[in-house]
Amino acid sequence: MSLKEMFKKTTYISIERNAVVSEMETVSTVLKKTMPTMKEEETPAVPEGMFVKCGNCAQTIYTEDLEKNNHVCPKCGYNLRLGARQRIEMIVDAGSFQEWNGDLATMNPLKFPKYEEKLKAQREKTGLQEAVVTGLAKIHNQSLALAVCDSRFLMGSMGEAVGEKIARMVEKATEDKLPVVIFACSGGARMQEGIVSLMQMAKTAAALKKHSEAGGLYVSVLTDPTTGGVTASFAMLGDIILAEPGALIGFAGPRVIEQTIGQKLPEGFQRSEFLLEKGLIDGIVKRGELKEVLSEIIHMHTNHPDKINTYKHYIEKNKAIRDIPLKSRQAMGAWEKVMTSRAANRLTSLDYIQAIFKDFIELHGDRAFRDDGSIVGGIATLGGMPVTVIGQQKGKNTKENILRNFGMPYPEGYRKALRLMKQAEKFHRPIICFVDTPGAFCGIEAEERGQGEAIARNLFEMSDLKVPILSIDIGEGGSGGALAMAVANEVWMLENATYSILSPEGFASILWKDSKRASQASEVMKITSQDLLDLHIIEKIIPEPQPASEDNLKDIAGYMKSYMKEFLAKYKDKSVLEITAERYDRFRDF
Amino acid sequence: MFKKILIANRGEIAVRIIRACREMGIQTVAVYSQADADALHTQLADEAICIGPANSADSYLNMERILSATTATKAEAIHPGFGFLSENSKFVEMCEKCKIAFIGPSAEIIHRMGNKSEARATMMDAGVPVVPGTKEPVYDPKEGKKIADEMGYPVIVKASSGGGGKGMRIVEKSEDFETNFLIAQRESINAFADDTMYIEKYIVSPRHVEFQILADKHGNVVHLGERDCSIQRNHQKVIEESPCSVISKELRQKMGEVAIRAAKAVGYESAGTIEFLLDKNGDFYFMEMNTRIQVEHPVTEMVTGLDLIQEQIRIAEGENLSVKQENIRVTGHAIECRINAENPSKNFRPCPGVIENIHLPGGKGVRIDTAIYNGYKIPSNYDSMILKLIVHDKDRFRAINKMQCALGELVIEGVDTNIDFQFDILGNNRFISGDINTHFIQDEYNL
Repeated sequence: MSLKEMFKKTTYISIERNAVVSEMETVSTVLKKTMPTMKEEETPAVPEGMFVKCGNCAQTIYTEDLEKNNHVCPKCGYNLRLGARQRIEMIVDAGSFQEWNGDLATMNPLKFPKYEEKLKAQREKTGLQEAVVTGLAKIHNQSLALAVCDSRFLMGSMGEAVGEKIARMVEKATEDKLPVVIFACSGGARMQEGIVSLMQMAKTAAALKKHSEAGGLYVSVLTDPTTGGVTASFAMLGDIILAEPGALIGFAGPRVIEQTIGQKLPEGFQRSEFLLEKGLIDGIVKRGELKEVLSEIIHMHTNHPDKINTYKHYIEKNKAIRDIPLKSRQAMGAWEKVMTSRAANRLTSLDYIQAIFKDFIELHGDRAFRDDGSIVGGIATLGGMPVTVIGQQKGKNTKENILRNFGMPYPEGYRKALRLMKQAEKFHRPIICFVDTPGAFCGIEAEERGQGEAIARNLFEMSDLKVPILSIDIGEGGSGGALAMAVANEVWMLENATYSILSPEGFASILWKDSKRASQASEVMKITSQDLLDLHIIEKIIPEPQPASEDNLKDIAGYMKSYMKEFLAKYKDKSVLEITAERYDRFRDF
Repeated sequence: MFKKILIANRGEIAVRIIRACREMGIQTVAVYSQADADALHTQLADEAICIGPANSADSYLNMERILSATTATKAEAIHPGFGFLSENSKFVEMCEKCKIAFIGPSAEIIHRMGNKSEARATMMDAGVPVVPGTKEPVYDPKEGKKIADEMGYPVIVKASSGGGGKGMRIVEKSEDFETNFLIAQRESINAFADDTMYIEKYIVSPRHVEFQILADKHGNVVHLGERDCSIQRNHQKVIEESPCSVISKELRQKMGEVAIRAAKAVGYESAGTIEFLLDKNGDFYFMEMNTRIQVEHPVTEMVTGLDLIQEQIRIAEGENLSVKQENIRVTGHAIECRINAENPSKNFRPCPGVIENIHLPGGKGVRIDTAIYNGYKIPSNYDSMILKLIVHDKDRFRAINKMQCALGELVIEGVDTNIDFQFDILGNNRFISGDINTHFIQDEYNL
């Protein structure tokens, strides 16, 4: 049975609520009492802007929810585009922003027809003079030079005014020794200004080069979208490059690529996550955490002159615990140590990094090919002093090990390590390396991309880095793959770590044509920490009262930390010449 | 006075509201999902607007579409019914911004009463008795165990955001505490993304007794007596009656006064319910406040002669209450049975499908609130309650007799229902004698 059109419609008699309709009253008198017509302004209406549509999932979002969520869609997680002023308000300390060159405008260099009318309309629409806002700001009371692009203004495109504002801002920052932060958000060069726009790419890049040569920090934050001539200039030149989740970042736009190659692009192509995987950016930061992360980064690049002195007290306090004589423990045989160093539950670089350092910010990628999971690195502080930390990373289960390639780095891993070391050199940060690898990865792709070159390059560059380097072998020190992170001023080993020309299995197989004699090989190869200390290959042994595992992480990390502080205190007053000469001599003597 | 009201609901309650509006001379707008194009409420209203796909999140919970439907049809008010958006403070806030009258309390009251720990604290401050328990939220099982050990077992662990039995566990002894706490907390995290828990003394064999209140915008508050909703399965009410057979005139007055005090403490407005646990000694404890019209409101209507939906509308219009406390008389006894499309022999599994044949009982004091009809297809997307059978007579025994007769005449073919299960309860000696508590179904039917 269908009910469609089955019901009779009521004729409504409007009834005054409190009036008791007496029998004497006629229907018509009741009808006269119907309510007065409603005033116009009281008519229910959904106010303009109460809801917005997400540009990604097309769902309707309550504007208030969106604002509370930093303009990130609560339904799909998409980071909605922000206006420059909105962004500034979100990132800097309230009231701290002072705009620079706010009135600077383009002269329409090509005398492009109708361009000026277009600009006028854009200015009225956005309330901005141009597609970028630059100025001085503070984040948690730390000063910085800030530029924020606005995609609402001609797609944030870079013409002479945008280029000029950025160049002037960078120059001013160099002069005043301020860190630079730029939020990129742009379609690229501005077509209406033609070749003059193209020149802005070179101009902004040149200003940043000068800033960098002067030792200045530049953090680039890529937001949706960052493409074309902006990507190919200032956006990709950060000492540290961050991106918001899901942002479109690329040189050629996806539509252009699709038309050119006649193929459909894969899901996620040119998005932040894709760039991270390809090693092109240091990290993806959620919008809500950006201010804190930027604050941390700026803080770590500020001088911390007095921190080292406070180490002394700590070192004294820990000396007694640390210097427990080694002989009090039962010594292991070489083969037993080989097995211990490879144990699945052995502590990894990240375990030590988390236990020893504060505020570790992991930085990714070689900026060229791929982010290698078998090497991790970044900036951290030790007792308030910023250091660069790099470690070869193994997993503790199959899933982790696949991600970490069983701790066997690819060439791009070594290149990432070198990139971070060069960064440390620029900012005068000591470098601490954790070595733990069966060896550099052996495979076709590794050779294609120059495994040998990558290792050689690290030995070459590390030998002359202007900052102190400390390498600690925490597990397996497998051959050249290990050495590529151990051209250091001092090399230390955990008591049960090994360090060798190659694996005992490989040694036995080459020398005796029988890899089963690995245990025998291990006894004659001199690969244990005690052997290597005797051979002066290493400077120090970190005690392992029990084989390193979750249970004694705190103890071992404690010994390490105490020794590290001693190391940093020792190198603090050495000149660059002394630091590099000592490292040179250390290896020259072998 | 409203000329047109949009009903943001479906099923029997939407039909109930449409009828009330018509009696008041108010035009109605129904909203419906794609699964409800043939539903009774869609056909009955003066206008009907489709607001999205069958899935509730995309239709009956889609605030933006409902607001648009309201403004597009020039309706001045929204009646939310129960469930869906009825206790969603954000929706009420949106209505306020759009200058649409929400027929119910303000966003602030809904928000305050929706948060259990805050509601509890408010009631304690107002001198309303509450079950002994933690005032501060508990997050850690070890800390919780300490508190429970001191309180003495049994205790009940409850999620702050909980409801419908989710995030709730009774713990009989100390050894079981931590496991049960963690299970309840996990449920709460999964269902409500909230790990805030609290612990209460567990009242053994209580009755669930709730007081209906009405409050207008001018500070007038009355109570309309109580409903005994002890017959529950899995914390879901099955049978409700009014009055409660064990409450004396004095106790009713006392509890009613407390209910009014509770409503006044939060500046309540519209129809609402204060739920209490009543133990064997006649001690009662505040459980929670429902800031909406309830499923079981007809039993109160039968014994008081008032139309609660119409009262809600009048209050929203800014009128004074139509009655004063001294004029409210509870006459006779009313019982409601909830008829669900479900299969009691298969653990009450919901059983959507087509109504092939239906026969409804009738006569004096028999009321049916439903939205099903011959050939109606019950969608699988919504609640399984399809019909409410309500009877009213001079006293409880007569009402039970009448309900048995009515249930006996009620025929619904095509889908499985709980009619036989209800019929069985009506014939149960413990039920007849009034020896009931919230564990009745569990004890008698091992469910």
